[in-house]
Amino acid sequence: MTRAWKYVGAIWLALVVVLLYLPILSVGLASLANTRYMRFPHRNWSIGAYTDALSQHETLVLHLTSLKVALLVTVLSVILATLGAMAFARYDWRGRSAFQKVVVLPIFFPQPVLGLALLLFFSALGFTPTWKTAVFAHMVWVLPIVTLVISIRLFGYDPAQEDAARDLGASRWQVLREVTLPYLSPGLISGGLFAFLLSWSNLPLSIFTTGADTTLPEWLFSRVATNYAPVVSAIAVIATLASVLLGCVVILILRLIDTHGIKGDGDHG
Amino acid sequence: MTRTAEPAQRQTALSLIGLSRHFGTFKALDSISLEIEEGEFFTIVGPSGSGKTTMLRILAGLDQPTQGSLLLRGTDITRMPANQRPTAMVFQSLALFDHRSVGENVEFALKMRGMPKPERREQAFELLDLVHLGRDYYNRAVTQCSGGERQRVALARALASDPEILFFDEPLSALDYRLRKTLEVELRELQRRTGRTFVYITHSLEEAMVMSDRIGIMREGKLVQIGTPAEIYGQPKDRFVARFMGEVNIFEVSDHRLVDFEASVSTVKDGFLIVRPEMLHPVDAEDPGLHFEATIAEVFRLGSRVQLHLETVAGLLVSEQPASCQLKPNDAVRFGFDPDQTHSVPE
Repeated sequence: MTRAWKYVGAIWLALVVVLLYLPILSVGLASLANTRYMRFPHRNWSIGAYTDALSQHETLVLHLTSLKVALLVTVLSVILATLGAMAFARYDWRGRSAFQKVVVLPIFFPQPVLGLALLLFFSALGFTPTWKTAVFAHMVWVLPIVTLVISIRLFGYDPAQEDAARDLGASRWQVLREVTLPYLSPGLISGGLFAFLLSWSNLPLSIFTTGADTTLPEWLFSRVATNYAPVVSAIAVIATLASVLLGCVVILILRLIDTHGIKGDGDHG
Repeated sequence: MTRTAEPAQRQTALSLIGLSRHFGTFKALDSISLEIEEGEFFTIVGPSGSGKTTMLRILAGLDQPTQGSLLLRGTDITRMPANQRPTAMVFQSLALFDHRSVGENVEFALKMRGMPKPERREQAFELLDLVHLGRDYYNRAVTQCSGGERQRVALARALASDPEILFFDEPLSALDYRLRKTLEVELRELQRRTGRTFVYITHSLEEAMVMSDRIGIMREGKLVQIGTPAEIYGQPKDRFVARFMGEVNIFEVSDHRLVDFEASVSTVKDGFLIVRPEMLHPVDAEDPGLHFEATIAEVFRLGSRVQLHLETVAGLLVSEQPASCQLKPNDAVRFGFDPDQTHSVPE
């Protein structure tokens, strides 16, 4: 690699970063304007949108709705995906390879189609769409992805470790707590992070399946389309910061597991 | 080889009574009966798929027999779960806990018993010394250990539970030759020093010969023969065992006639003569036994001895001679053996 190529590489990287983050930055800038229309450059700078956003009860309700949907999706899909991934990675059963193909199928549907299909499905069964049906809808799409993420971790796993633990006196519960879960935890955490963020930011499925409830992305979308005010951008920024914060916390936890789990005294019991 | 107890005084550590394990119609274990004595190094040898590992897993409680029972010093433990048995196993994959340090691996069994951390650490130190790793390894990650070191960690971890019986499932198969040899000797030494019962599985005859008090040969879920290494080598029960225990020349005998040589045998009517390579040697006219013309096809120097491949009327035969042997390819020599001194098998 010559010096010239190194520069080209650095410029390329810088371009990618700028192009990725500039749009997000522009939302941030828009939130600081005091106008009814998004336009640059600003005539009046103001943080009024943020004080508005923080004082509005709606901000809290939107975040709470999205949060409870995302948290439920995370917990349920991590549990189900772990069971599915274990069944797939560990045991040989009839239909195992069919399962591998079917399980990822929902990712290939365009989400609006999937959303409409689910709405029809819910009404056929007589369910009124609420945030709870949205949890189910999100899981249809999120579960395959989480299953894949956890499977990757499981493939490197030697099930004989569990036999060894049993042999050394561990009860079934101790095997799970001392061997299986500590090994799987990085996969569970990154799977959970995926689940949370995919649900947190999902629009196409929510639009069809939340009924009278409104999630953050739904509200943002409708307000951007019709009734824009800087407070919309302000709430978008707050929501983005919330998910960035979550991401940072998870990365920190993974770091801790990595260093502490192997080297440290690790007295988990 | 000094032993404190005479064989007659030894107690039975493990009794296997008609143990079978069926997977559908496949009989992985077919009515195995065996008594393993206290303080014995017992090795089960067999080709892959012969049921060795299935048997060991049943002994350790990791699998349940379809039929039969298992006694530990006379107490039935057939249905006792693995975590309650006073046995420990070294696995083929070693099955070390990769997310734990060497020390945490070693003290796992102690932690499961609720022993406090300082005591556990003290015992782990002792065990690490015992397996020649040393306490410096305590904080090391198992993923940073070499193959031989991982082996020792696995051994220390199994010893930590102070088991009455230790099981080994081909633990050395992934190591290079030199390391394997070293560890074979160390294991044997450890077994003598601790006086524990070791049940060892391998497909390597050499490993079995070096370490064992007794060897059991397995084939298709059955124990074909049980005996000391010398017995199994010198008096195999059939051609399968003879072939499995190393290089061998086998000659068919039919109605007192050695078929390949058109010669007669007084001691055997029908069956097969088992002629080990070292029993086949160059002869003078006055030597007793059967003589025949041989042309040297190949010469392999094996260090302390020489292996010769001979072209004869009976086809290609194998002979082994001391390293001083000067025969070269294409030499024509008279070779022979004494059929009356040769072990024979009916099938």
